[in-house]
Amino acid sequence: MSELFEPLLRSYDERRRAELVAAYMAVEHAAAPVPEVRFAALREPALRRTVEAMLGLSGRTLVRAATKEWISGYRDEVAAELAADPDCAPPADERAVLTLVLIHSVAIPRAAGLLADDSWQSPFPTPVEELRRRSQLPIGELEAALRRLRVAGLVTQVKAGGDEAGGFVPGPQFHRLTDAARRRLQEELILAAGPDSPLAAAIRARRRGRSNIQGDSK
Amino acid sequence: MSVDPQVLARARARVLGVPSITVAEPVPPGFTGASDGTRVWLLPEWPDGATPALLEEYDTAPMPLDRPGQARRVLAAALRCCWPRLDDAPWPGQDALVIDVLEVYVGLSRGDADLARRWATGELRRLADTGWLLLDEAAGTVRPGPRVALWADETLGPLRDLLRRLPEPVREDAP
Repeated sequence: MSELFEPLLRSYDERRRAELVAAYMAVEHAAAPVPEVRFAALREPALRRTVEAMLGLSGRTLVRAATKEWISGYRDEVAAELAADPDCAPPADERAVLTLVLIHSVAIPRAAGLLADDSWQSPFPTPVEELRRRSQLPIGELEAALRRLRVAGLVTQVKAGGDEAGGFVPGPQFHRLTDAARRRLQEELILAAGPDSPLAAAIRARRRGRSNIQGDSK
Repeated sequence: MSVDPQVLARARARVLGVPSITVAEPVPPGFTGASDGTRVWLLPEWPDGATPALLEEYDTAPMPLDRPGQARRVLAAALRCCWPRLDDAPWPGQDALVIDVLEVYVGLSRGDADLARRWATGELRRLADTGWLLLDEAAGTVRPGPRVALWADETLGPLRDLLRRLPEPVREDAP
């Protein structure tokens, strides 16, 4: 018996309890969003609130990925705390490599109208040669960064085959972004790819406004 | 809005993989501790003894591995060396030489032995990154990782049978 979850699970009968545990483990460990048709505790709103509360114990929340599909991710306020923690933020070379993958596999195809506006999954791999050239990292360090990003599920390797060139695309962790996290990432990508664009200026102005309001309320 | 420190500690542990503390420190609530006598690794506490193996019952794919077959064979070769008394629990096991693990792996694979050793070395690093093994590259040793402590004893039968069928590491210093 788990002391952590017991207060939330205590009132349910054995069958409901098993459904809650199954849904919790599925959204926490699946590679991709899981369909609610397979998990009673995701289908029924009252049970889904309990799954949400179970996730909340570890700073996680439910993320609705598509109609009737769910996965888990960090709560926004928890993600902000983790990002500010130097032990938790990935080192600069990993972030640089990941940014390059997002620019090549998502931002450029999205600007060309080849990808839906809100998708972080991409069929367009970033060639390793491009990563080597643009990151200016020695090959050993680039490979180590890619190994850690792959292990973390942040990038996925696509093997070359036929006419298709191989490379790297955003990994399964990008299913786990909350709406606010997707918005923030989209803004960061605009700031990275077009820092002098009017859109980037608008984002900076809005952020300044927001931090002023927060500053005033303190 | 500030985050409950216990909630943040559990979120942080998920980011860090399997963090460890000294045995003198108390295991924070919501973790299962795996101790080797010196350090305690903080493993996630799952409800009602469930494990991610539950995903299989629901036809749900877990997070993918790059080369799952190779990863399993390298893990098996490592366990063959650092879990010598198979009737005991696999955790904490004991230190084994990386070169012994590589030789057991070479014995399991076909083709170029040098290439197999290189692949297996990369795989040992990945298994160490994810907490399945503890790798000390400077000392050239490896031992079971704290995640192994999550394996329930009643599920270990098939793994013990499989490991018994693997060749033992060849010890040059053996009597």
